[in-house]
Parts: sequence; structure tokens; C-alpha cells
Amino acid sequence: MKQGSEIRDQGLESTEQLLRKALEPVGERETERDLWPAMRQRMEAQPSAPPWFDWALACGVAVFALAFPASIPVFFYYL
Amino acid sequence: MPTLGLPLMLAGFIVVRLGLQFPFPIERGLVFPLALVPSLWALWNMLWLGTHGRTHLGIGLHGALLPLLLMPSGAVLATCLGILAIGADGVTWFRSVYFPYVLIAPAFACALAGYYLLWKYVVGFVNRVLGIA
Repeated sequence: MKQGSEIRDQGLESTEQLLRKALEPVGERETERDLWPAMRQRMEAQPSAPPWFDWALACGVAVFALAFPASIPVFFYYL
Repeated sequence: MPTLGLPLMLAGFIVVRLGLQFPFPIERGLVFPLALVPSLWALWNMLWLGTHGRTHLGIGLHGALLPLLLMPSGAVLATCLGILAIGADGVTWFRSVYFPYVLIAPAFACALAGYYLLWKYVVGFVNRVLGIA
């Protein structure tokens, strides 16, 4: 009985060692560079002004929604 | 954007349906916008990311094509769930919003325009910020 548990313990130890070799510790790894500045730069980048066509489309949608308010819940259903 | 709006819509549903005891089963109407539309937006975005190198189609125009799929599928589902009733002169949404057939074409054009703008400015911005487009 005792011999069986020793064999099982040895098996667990070797499995643990294999896992430790296969998986590198997560906490000790770091990214090669800080990703946040690039992300912030993209967020703060000034987009170009919308063309008149897009403003016209937005106005058209707004006018339709104001003229037919019953359409608003239907639009939300499709969003 | 659908993912951001999901908690707000869920909070609104809980307040209206459970808090205010609104009699209409609006949860049936939430199946499509909360369960299917976000997934379809994500798949449509992945399709754009995978194909725009070859098609050179702008993200706005790509997004404007999505209602061509969404409108019929949403209408079919709404009819099956009992939130859209088809009549002789028009349709009735949510048992209270009557929509005559003559308005469906301009409403569809508005949906295309709205989707074009949302995809061009909102989805395009998120894609740029995440660095995937």
C-alpha cells in the first residue's frame, strides 16, 4: 500500500517537472515594448472632417426619425 | 458598439419590464438585437478585414450592405415571435407601432444610410484604435 503511494508520488513529481519545463512562468515575461502609447496615439489622432455627403445622410436620417417617430423603435430593433 | 450598448439595453429592459411591469413581452423583441445583431456585426467586420485588401470596398459601404441581410431575417424572426404583424396596408411592430407599406422603402434607405455612417465612423474608429485596420 505504502509502496503504491510512493510510486504515485514519483509519478506526480515527474509530471509536475514536465509541466514546469513545458510552460514558462507567465509573470516573468514582459512585452518587448509598451503598447499603451501607440494605442493612445491612435485614440487621439484627429480624424479628417466628414464630407458634405455624410452630413447630408445624417440629416436625412434625423429628419425621417423626427417626421416618423414610430420608426425609432424599429431602427433600434435592427441595431 | 453593440457590446458597449448591451449592458445599457439590458438595464433598460429590467427597469421597463420588471420594474415598471410593462405588459408587452419585450424580451421577445430583444432576442434579435441582443443575441444575433452583435454576432452578425462581428462576423461582418471579420469579413471586411479579410476581403477589403482585394475588394477595396470602404468600411462604410461594406456596413451599408449588412441591412440587406438583417432586414429580412429580422422581419422573419419578429413575425415568428409575434412582435411583427403583417396587415393589408402595413405592418404593426410591438403591437403598437403601425408602419404603412409606403414608408418601408424610405425607412430602408434610412437604415442603409444609418448603417453606412455607423460603420464608417464608429466601427472604423474602433478598428483603427485596436490596430486591426
